[in-house]
Formats: sequence, structure tokens, C-alpha cells
Amino acid sequence: MIKVMRHHRSHSHGTASIDFYACQSGLRHWNGPYKVFSSLFILVLCLGLDHPWISVFVILTIGTVNLFGNRISFLNYFELLKMPFAFLLLGSAAVAIGISKQMVGQVFFSLGGWNFYVTKEGMLQSMELFLKSMAAVSSLYLLALSTPASELVSVLRSIHMPKVLAELMNMVYRFIFILFEVQREMRIAAASRLGDVDFKTSCCTFGQIGGNLLILALKKANTYYDAMVSRGYEGELLFWEEEKPIEFWQYLLLAGYFAVLVLARFCLLSES
Amino acid sequence: MTKPQKKLWVASILFAAFFGIAPRVGAMHIMEGYLPLGFCVAWGMISLPFLIKGFFSIQKKLQENRKNITMLAMSGAFIFVISSLKIPSVTGSCSHMTGTGLGAILFGPCAVSILGIIVLVFQAVLLAHGGLTSLGANTFSMAIAGPFLSYGIFWVCKKCRIKRRAGVFLAAALGDLFTYCVTSFQLALAYPSEHGGIFASVAKFLAVFAPTQIPLAIVEGCLTIVIMITLENYAQPELKNVGYSKEP
Repeated sequence: MIKVMRHHRSHSHGTASIDFYACQSGLRHWNGPYKVFSSLFILVLCLGLDHPWISVFVILTIGTVNLFGNRISFLNYFELLKMPFAFLLLGSAAVAIGISKQMVGQVFFSLGGWNFYVTKEGMLQSMELFLKSMAAVSSLYLLALSTPASELVSVLRSIHMPKVLAELMNMVYRFIFILFEVQREMRIAAASRLGDVDFKTSCCTFGQIGGNLLILALKKANTYYDAMVSRGYEGELLFWEEEKPIEFWQYLLLAGYFAVLVLARFCLLSES
Repeated sequence: MTKPQKKLWVASILFAAFFGIAPRVGAMHIMEGYLPLGFCVAWGMISLPFLIKGFFSIQKKLQENRKNITMLAMSGAFIFVISSLKIPSVTGSCSHMTGTGLGAILFGPCAVSILGIIVLVFQAVLLAHGGLTSLGANTFSMAIAGPFLSYGIFWVCKKCRIKRRAGVFLAAALGDLFTYCVTSFQLALAYPSEHGGIFASVAKFLAVFAPTQIPLAIVEGCLTIVIMITLENYAQPELKNVGYSKEP
């Protein structure tokens, strides 16, 4: 069992791991719509209030909630925060660095008459953007690490998302794990037959696994439909859901957090 | 080396040492919080008509045969899995396919728009690729613009009787490149350059992401060919079932 869990945790891109953390989270038994609404609310506040100090505050406070509330270790949380880094780094660099034919800002590189420069405003903007994005990612993790995807779908269903879409989402979510398992077995089989011996062979292996995966997926789709119909499926999957009432202090907590953020923004505004 | 260059160099070494030198090169998902609120809403609105069209096409498919629901769900799960697998790479970096071209060729662009948004939601909450506020922008670039172009190219190649494999390669590679161009445009629109405006900014974003995205598009084209060859050899009835026609 431990071996399986370790495998899930170290899954190549954390597919199972974020879901794994969500299932063992300390906030697992909090009301689903409350968790979804409050994470989205904080996310929108980060973007709306748009101030670097607010972003730092959100990164720290939500980070603390993720570490202690969602019970994820510091190292694992750091690993998760690293994920968006490649994009943020390149994106922020593109915002910070300007290209122009004229000599503006501090030019550090010239190529064929074009000057690559940085200005103080550009650097500041990219820093602010970086912080804002990290704060938003923290809020996304607040949602992802506390709410398993199946609960998210049931929340979407309760706000009257079309039934067909909820149905599709429920099935896609379950099929993802089945296909990952099938793919993992194929990979082991291919690797043990020198499928990764060089670049060309590994490209062929990848393609063949992809093709075979689709064939198996479609075969399984038929079998699953028959299995569902034989168990009384009539176009709607119904799941048993735990009742999770919202406590009064949870409302207060969210209102307090909102008040602190908005007050901080006003203080920062009057200061500047 | 001038002083700022030196600073930049030292900063990059420190960064690389701190965060590891092989960054995760995803398909170009715009990260959570990267776009201002107005742009998030606007891109969502632009995507909406395509999603409604996709929704009706899926509903029609289900009315034809109720059994298609598991087939569609499996297709969605397949797109998710294929786009999160690490593809072979010479440099050892970690990159993924977008899967948009393959999806469009196999399932048609309308169905892919709905499957695409579902996959993007799961990618955001299960993999932290992309985000919920940037969902509209990502849906437009990856689930609408890319697949529609891929499908268009595939269709034109078929009409012009260009070799099937060349058609598949062009559809997948150009669909991927187009996704990357649209994303760069979306980023540039939100963050125009102070000197030179939006177009200078588009050039900047294209240039910054080009070293990772152009090789990725070529590899994606090749991998899609191998997948299609495997499918055509072994799975003719299944291909016909998902709506992919054999006739050139």
C-alpha cells in the first residue's frame, strides 16, 4: 500500500498527487461550495486589488492554510509552487525586457539595429505581475488541495451546469486514472523491450503507445457503457454525497479575510 | 561583459541552481493570475459561441446514440492523458504535446472545443497547468483556434490530394504553432510594450517562447503521424466510430 501511495505521489506530473493531497486534506470535510466559492473569491480579489503587498500577504496567508489546513509538507508545497515557474519566468522576462530601435532605458544588448532594454517601470511591472500570479496560483492550490475533482463537479452541478457536461466531467475524471494506469503498464512493457534505446525509437514507442491507448480506450468505453446500463444507468450518474454544513465561524473567517484585504488596499492607496 | 549583463548572468545562474535547470515546458498554458480581470472575461465571451456550437454538436451525437457518452468521455480522458505525458526529448527537458491537432483530426473541432474546456479545467485543478481565471483565454487558444486551424489544414490537404501523412504532420505542427502564436497575442494584448505597442510585444512573447515551442511543434507533428499510422493499421472500425473518415 505504501508503495502504491509513493508511486502516486511521485507520479510524473503530479496528476495523482494533487488529487491524493485533496483526499487527505484537513479541509476535506468542509462544505464543498464554500471552499470553491471562497477560493475563487480570493483569486478574484488578488486580481482586482492588484497590489504587490496584497499579493505577498495572500501568498503567505494562503500558503500557511495550505501547509497546515491542507496538511501538505513544506517540501511538497514548494515542489508544487515550482510548477508554474517556467512560464512565469519567461513571461515576466518578456514583460520586463523591451525591444526598440531607439535608445531607451538601460540597453544591455543590441542586435541588427534593435536594442534590448530594461526600464525601471518595466522591471517593477514584471515583479508585480510575478507576485500577483504567484498569489493567484496559491489560491488555486487552496481549491485544488482541499477539494477533490469529483466534489468540484458536484458543486458545478449544483449551480445548474448542463447535465450532459456534468456527466461528461464525472466520466472523464474517472477515465483519466484508468488510462494512466493502462499507459503506465504499456510504458513498462515498452521500456523492458528497449523501447527507449534512442531518440528515434522512443518517438516510435510514444506514438505506438498513444495509438494503442486510444484503441484500448474506445474498447473500454463500450464495455463501461454496457456495464453501466446493466446496473440501471438511464442517462444520469448519481453519487452519494456527504452532507457538510457550513459553520457560522467559517462565514466570519471569510468575511474577516475579505475585510483585511480591502482595508489593507485602502491603507496602501492613501499612503501612496 | 557590461555590468547589467553580468548581473543578469549571475541572476540566471542563481535561479538555475535554485530551481533546477530543466524547466517543465508545458503546452503554452497562460498561468493563473497572469491576465487582468477584463481580459479574462473578454476571452471567455469570445469563446462562448464556439462552446455553444460544440455543446449542440455533442448533444446531437448523444441523441443519435446514447452510447456515445462513454466514447466522448474516453476521448476527453485520452486528450488529457496524451497532453500530460512527457514526450521524448534530446535535451532531457520535460515537455508535453498539446494534443489539439490529434483531437481535431480524430473527433472534429466542435467536439474538441467542449472536450478541450473540460480537459483544461482538470489540467488546472489536477496538474496546476493553466488556471481558472485564464480558462477563457486558454480555451480560445488551445480548444478553439488550434483545433479549427488543424482541422482546416487537414481538410484542405485532403481536398488537394496531398499525401495523408504530410497532411497529418502539417495539421498537428501548424495547429500547435498557431496555438502558441494566439497565446503570445493574448499576452501581448494584455501587456503591450511601452515603446512599439502591441506588435512589438507580440514579437517579444513569440521570441521568448520560440526556443521551446518550435521544436515542440515539429516533434508533435511527428508523434501525431506515428499515432495515426498505428490507428489506421489496427483500428479502422474504431476510427470510423469516432467520425474520422478513411477516404482521401
